[in-house]
Amino acid sequence: MKTLVVFPQRELLYAASTLGGEVAALVFSQREAEAVSGKVHKILLAEVDPRLPDAAAEVVAGAAAGYDLVLMPSTKNAKTIGGMAAQKLGAEFLTDVLSMRAEGGVLTAERYVFGNKAVAAVQVSLPAVVTVAPGRFQGEPPAVQSSVERLAAAPTSRLRIVAVEEKPRGAVRLEEAEIIVSVGRGFKKKEDIQMAFELAKALGGQVGCSRPIAADLKWLPEEHWVGLSGKKVKPKLYLAIGISGQPQHIAGILDSRIIAAINNDPSAPIFQNADYGVVEDLYKIVPILINKISKLKGQ
Amino acid sequence: MATSIFINYDNQNGMKIAVLIKTALDTGQLRVRDTVVVEETPLKISDIDRNAIEEAVKLKGQDKAYGVTALKWGPLQKKIQEAENVLREALAMGLDEAYLVADEKLLNASHLATAKAIAAVVKKVGADLVLAGEATVDNYTGQIPARVAAELGWPAVTYVRELRVEGGRVVARRDLEDHVEVVEAPLPAVVSVTREINQPRIPTLLAIRAAMKKPINRLTLADLGLSVEPKISAAYKPLAIQRKKVVIKDGTPEEKAEKLIQHLRQEGVI
Repeated sequence: MKTLVVFPQRELLYAASTLGGEVAALVFSQREAEAVSGKVHKILLAEVDPRLPDAAAEVVAGAAAGYDLVLMPSTKNAKTIGGMAAQKLGAEFLTDVLSMRAEGGVLTAERYVFGNKAVAAVQVSLPAVVTVAPGRFQGEPPAVQSSVERLAAAPTSRLRIVAVEEKPRGAVRLEEAEIIVSVGRGFKKKEDIQMAFELAKALGGQVGCSRPIAADLKWLPEEHWVGLSGKKVKPKLYLAIGISGQPQHIAGILDSRIIAAINNDPSAPIFQNADYGVVEDLYKIVPILINKISKLKGQ
Repeated sequence: MATSIFINYDNQNGMKIAVLIKTALDTGQLRVRDTVVVEETPLKISDIDRNAIEEAVKLKGQDKAYGVTALKWGPLQKKIQEAENVLREALAMGLDEAYLVADEKLLNASHLATAKAIAAVVKKVGADLVLAGEATVDNYTGQIPARVAAELGWPAVTYVRELRVEGGRVVARRDLEDHVEVVEAPLPAVVSVTREINQPRIPTLLAIRAAMKKPINRLTLADLGLSVEPKISAAYKPLAIQRKKVVIKDGTPEEKAEKLIQHLRQEGVI
């Protein structure tokens, strides 16, 4: 088994090591090469801007010759590069895999499909390209001797990056939050969301929201948006307040340990996807919860 | 850039656009037994593709916009009918013509084969621009636009939330994880869009009627001169999420709050 890790980081290197055999890393800067030294057998250093998917894909496809598997993170640019490289290689491409094993030239992997309502067990013949879902491969890659090889290929891109605008970023790291209080259309005014922030503060958690709150009403920045096209979260407690529970939202909270929901509509689909549901007007119960939980925590 | 000015490629002539449309499994109506019964699950348009169609209708000017679908889910005869209904919707939104690649050999999970079929249709219609949704609602891999671009040898501009076409190039705002990237690429190009790019129109009754007369061209792999070897197989197991579904509906708000807190403390999460 020979695995090439592109954009190496700990989870990917560990995932690669679980497959056995030789692990190489493809990096795009000297700094990255140093960071990965001692963790892979071979380091391939390419002189190309990895933000340019067409050029990066050409490098990846070239470097992948002789490897059974190309492993990448599940970022948007990596998926773009992976798709292009896979087509050039005549290989299949699996994204966001949860688990994988390789045997006899076949990779078997699992991934969520159908709005995260099913798990697909997929078998592809090697060579293949794979991106790994975050948080699924926790461990340390073994220490090994690394050799470095500079790649000569320096393809040009037809894309030109004109500007990069940082997204306004608060202190919100929903992917890492242990407790999330999430708000939906049940909140009638933007100002009312303040209640959720107070409850989150009392619980020591962060505030998330459903799609309409971020994308349509723009009451909260997109970094709060939980769901299939927002953040996928895995807190120990997800408290959904005034959220009806559309499939796209549920898809983002599947890995939560406990889901609790408050909604005044007893037929809201969120109750079918929650451990604990309270049928109540959020405007009545949330202030009570803030009060009680603040007292509890104060003890 | 709150508003955009749309300038047609090659001035008043517009440009040929191919819109990739996935006739996706309706994940709201999955038929489930021991496994997901794909054959019995109805098809619908992949939601984000509506945004791609809307963008195409706005950009096409005097030229034509084509819907392109490769049918992925079987059984073939039954699903062709459903796929044609989905394509009628797309035509009602303003596309001029649709191509449906329906072939037994495409009824598997191979994205390699799907991208080859789609690229062949794009060449056949002579499109200058391919528009697609950022990902499809059933599989959500987002790889087809990138693959089609590689197959055609065109640049791929993915996850676009704002698009302009001017002077033979696209200028796009890409919505990435931590930042927005403004990029330029020459035409021909493949662009995948997010839901934020526009508000898809709801077709009028008149448009729906007019769509009945627009052509849906059915093709096989042989028609496109392609043969494919699937290198992939997949089995779909419904995800057994066992939530406790304890619903607290009796008592005063005070009592309900107390009960909820008790449960959450017992679980050790607060």
